[in-house]
Formats: sequence, structure tokens, C-alpha cells
Amino acid sequence: MAAPSHGVIATFETASDIYYAAQKVRDAGFKCWDCITPCPVHGLDGAMGVRRSKVPHFSLIGGILGFTIGMSMIYFTGAVDYQLIVGGKPLFSPMFAFPVSYELTILLTAFFTIGGMFFLNGLPMHYHPVLKTEHIHRGLDDKFLIVIESRDPKYDSSATAALLESIGGKDVTQIEA
Amino acid sequence: MSASNTNGTPAGKALVIGIVGIALTLVGIAVSGGAKVAFSWLTAMTFWTGIGIGMLMLIMIHHIMDANWSTVIRRQFEHGISAFKWLGILFIPLVVASIMDPSVLWKYFDTSYDLGAIGGHGLVGEDVLYTKKSGMLNFNFFLGATVLSFVGWSCLANRFRRCSFTQDTDGDIIWTRKSRFWSAVGLPFTAVTLTLCVILWVKALDYHWFSTMYGVWFFANCIRAALAVGILIMCWLWTRGDYKGVLNTNHWYSIGMLSFAFTVFWAYVTFSQYFLIWNANVPEETFWYNLREMNNTTGEANQWKWVGMLILFGHFFFPFLGLISYPAKVSKKWMKFMATWILTIVFVDILYNVWPSKKVTTDMVESGHGFGLGVGDPLPFLAIHQLWTLTALIGIGGICAWAYFKSFPTAKLIPIRDPRIGEALTYHE
Repeated sequence: MAAPSHGVIATFETASDIYYAAQKVRDAGFKCWDCITPCPVHGLDGAMGVRRSKVPHFSLIGGILGFTIGMSMIYFTGAVDYQLIVGGKPLFSPMFAFPVSYELTILLTAFFTIGGMFFLNGLPMHYHPVLKTEHIHRGLDDKFLIVIESRDPKYDSSATAALLESIGGKDVTQIEA
Repeated sequence: MSASNTNGTPAGKALVIGIVGIALTLVGIAVSGGAKVAFSWLTAMTFWTGIGIGMLMLIMIHHIMDANWSTVIRRQFEHGISAFKWLGILFIPLVVASIMDPSVLWKYFDTSYDLGAIGGHGLVGEDVLYTKKSGMLNFNFFLGATVLSFVGWSCLANRFRRCSFTQDTDGDIIWTRKSRFWSAVGLPFTAVTLTLCVILWVKALDYHWFSTMYGVWFFANCIRAALAVGILIMCWLWTRGDYKGVLNTNHWYSIGMLSFAFTVFWAYVTFSQYFLIWNANVPEETFWYNLREMNNTTGEANQWKWVGMLILFGHFFFPFLGLISYPAKVSKKWMKFMATWILTIVFVDILYNVWPSKKVTTDMVESGHGFGLGVGDPLPFLAIHQLWTLTALIGIGGICAWAYFKSFPTAKLIPIRDPRIGEALTYHE
């Protein structure tokens, strides 16, 4: 039995090559795969069938949390814990609690957005099997790579390699896990 | 061009609607009296002029930023701003009315006006809050600033229209450069004139008041309304088929984002104005909000309080939540509804700023036309005279729409030889 494999990698020459290749991998039904490009390729996410990021959900949670914390903190400190009339104002009013709540909304939205982004994309990641391949050097320079991972339920080492070759992939190679 | 030829076209229909609206507003003078109809006319004037200013600002921001995606909808705004010269003409009745009766709208025109008639004390000319501001708050300054503004906006509008339309035929890059130059001139000019106009027209209806946020508040409303009209035009031209193959999802997303951003901007500005006045609690400032919350003579809440609540929730919270998500911004059906809603609520906001300055006078109370209110209380929101605000809205709106539809067939759908048009057509996130 062969050594455990991370998956299979293939090289493509141009942005349009990888664009059309990605569509075919998508249509073949693969889920655990990725494109590695030296520059952003517009529309590639659509060709890969990647759905919109889930980061906004984190942002929304952060925002609601920030606003609630701001309002309740000022309510608790001013109207419950240490009642003190300032400038003839009521002990609590959403008016003066608003600027702080609003700032906290922005702050926690920003934290949750950044945190959510790192959580979802798994960064920082200090090691990745693809870094062991020869392909990656050109992949960071002028070539376009597709990696299909062995954990994909549709993965089959020889069939998947054949698929990549059939859609124009060069240097189709197994990646050591 | 005979009337029978133009009746079927959108321009002809708009003109008929406009004239009917204006005629009905004239009927309103006979029914409710000129003093009330003047407030109605001012409300509608401010609203439609605001949309024009918003469109002009968006065009200039587009040029000065060398923006790309907005190239595909800039042409529609260029048609829209052709209305400025007509708006200038439609403003004349207000000036004439003020010459005939200086206290009809702006009490500061009439230094001999007795403020006792609206629940105040003494004459306008003896009022220290007037005399300190009289350098700006007088008829000559008003007329000068208003004329300068309308002439300036019309000239800028002509300039941008000519540059853009000529480029369609010769494709010369010089027109883009010229537009950029005039944007650099026009942006500060329009920022100053829109502030002056809204201060002189609306804020100075209650000249005691202070607010340094007022111009910014108006600007926010102008942009929100102009973007809403832009979205409605996009929906219309999309349904009609013109914009098929021109607009993609990202154009809808981008104008939705702008609408969302200016929703937050409007809220920030409007809240700041309220909050600072609430916090400082100075009578010269708080009276303006008190008027819009309760009748001073009885201390009871009035209808304007609920209008204020409608603005708080309908002008901020609802559009904020309604525009926050991506699927909402790219849904044409939803954006059409949102744009209609925003346009309506901007109008309510203008109405809320104009109308409560119309107060019950001693004459009204004596003649039994005071709505059962005390002297100095604002007239109620729901009353028959608001019908004339609607007819004025339709009348002036019809004329603006006529200007748009008249200009629409004179140029191509999009500026086809603009240097940014390629980018705009293939625009993506």
C-alpha cells in the first residue's frame, strides 16, 4: 500500500486555463479542493462554486453583542450599581448610552469580523503538505495550481489524477501527506 | 410639437401630471389659504431640489474620484439634473409670496412682525436672536443666495451634461478632464450653497434655532434620495430591457452599499444634532424639538412626536436592517421597495423640518381655525392642508420627471466612450 497521500496537484499555464479547469472540477462534484494562483483571478470563486463567505454572520453577532453590552453596561453602572444624577439627566437614557454602545458595536464587529475570518480560513497555518511539492515555487510565481485533497469523498488517486490530466493539468503529482 | 404628439410619451405624461398637480395646489390656495400652501410648496421644493442636489453631488463625486462602476448609471443622473432650471423657476412663487406678505413663510423678512401672534414676545426687529443673525437672515441675502445657488447648479448641470454627451460623439478624453475640473470647483460650491439654502429656506423658519449639523443633515438626505431615485431608474430600465447586459449583480450590490452607507451617515448626523441639543439642554435649541413633540400651551404630546418616531425607526432602523445583508442588496424587487421607502421617508423628514414651524396664530384661534390648539403650537400633521403638500409634491415632481424624460432620448443609455466604461461594464467585486 502506498504512503498516505494528501491529494493530487496539477499545474495550469494561464488564468483562463485554471478558470475552465476549476469549473470542470466543480462539476465533477469535488468539495475538498483548492486553486493556488500567483495573483487574484476574478470570478474564480464562482468557477469553483465557492459560496459567499460566512464572515458577515460573525460580524452581525459581534455588532449585536457590542450594542447590547454598551447599553446594559451603562444601564447597570448608572441606574443600578451607582446611582448619581449628572447634569439633571435621568439615571439612564438611551441618548447618552448611544455613543458608547455605537462605538462598542463597531469595535466588537471589527473584532468578530477579523476573528471569524481567521477561524474560518484556518490561518495562521505554519505547515501545509502542498509546501513540500516542487509545483508550489512556480505556483507562487507564474503558474496556476489545482489541488484535490484525498479526504474528498469522491477522491480516487488514479481517477482524480486522470481527471486533472483530462482537463489540461500538467505535472499531475501525488502530494505526500 | 403639438400637445397630441407628446401626450403619449413619458415626458408628455409627466408634464400633464406636473401641471395637474400645480393646478390642484392653486386650488389649495382658495381652500386653505396661501399661507399654508406656501409651506406645502416649500416642502415639495426642498424635497425635489434636494434630489437634484444629490444627483449633482453623485456626479461630481464620481468624476473627482475617477470612479468606475458608477459610469453606467451616471448618465441617468445627468438627465435628472436638467431639472434645475425649472426648479429655479418654480421657486419664484415663494419669493413673490414673501414680497407680498413678508411674514408668510420666513418671519425674519419682516422686522416689524409681532411675535406675540405666534406665542412669542416683541417684534422681530427687537429680538436679540434676530439682530445678531440679521447679517445673513434678511431678504437680500436670501434672494442673492437662492439665485446664486440655482444659477450655479444649473450651470454645473449644463457643463456636466455637455461634457458627457459630447464625449459620446467624439470620444475625446478632454471632456473627462473638464468634468473632473468642474467637479473640483463644483463640490465646494455645492456644499456651501446647499447648506446656505437649507439654512435660509428651512432652518430659518424658526430663526431662533442653532444647529451646526443642519447642512450635513440635508446633504445626507439629498444623497439618500438621489440614490433611491437612481435605484428606481435602474429597476425601470432593467424591466424595460435597456439595462439588460449592462448591469450585473455587482452594480446592484454597489449602489445598495452606498445607500446603506448613507443610511448610517444620515443617522450619525441626525442623532448628533439631537443628542448635542438634548445634552446641552439650552432653551434656544431645545424649543425646536419641543415643538415637534408637544404642544407648549398644554404640555401634551402632539402628532409630530409620532412623526419623529416614524423618522427614527423608518429613516434609520428599518433601512439599516433592510439593507445590511448581501442578498437584500442584490434583490431587485427588495431594492425597489427599499428605494421607494427611503424616498418617502426623506419626504416625511423634510416635512417634519418644515411644517411644525407653521404655528397657530392669535388670528387663527380668534377665528376658530386653530384646531383647538393654543397660540404658538404647531399645526397638526394630519390636517386637510397637507393635501396641498401632496399636490405640490406631485406638481413639482411631474416637472422634474418631465425634465428627465425630455432629456432621456437625447443621449445614449450609457456614456459609451467614457474611458471608464469598459471597466464599468465588466465590474466585479
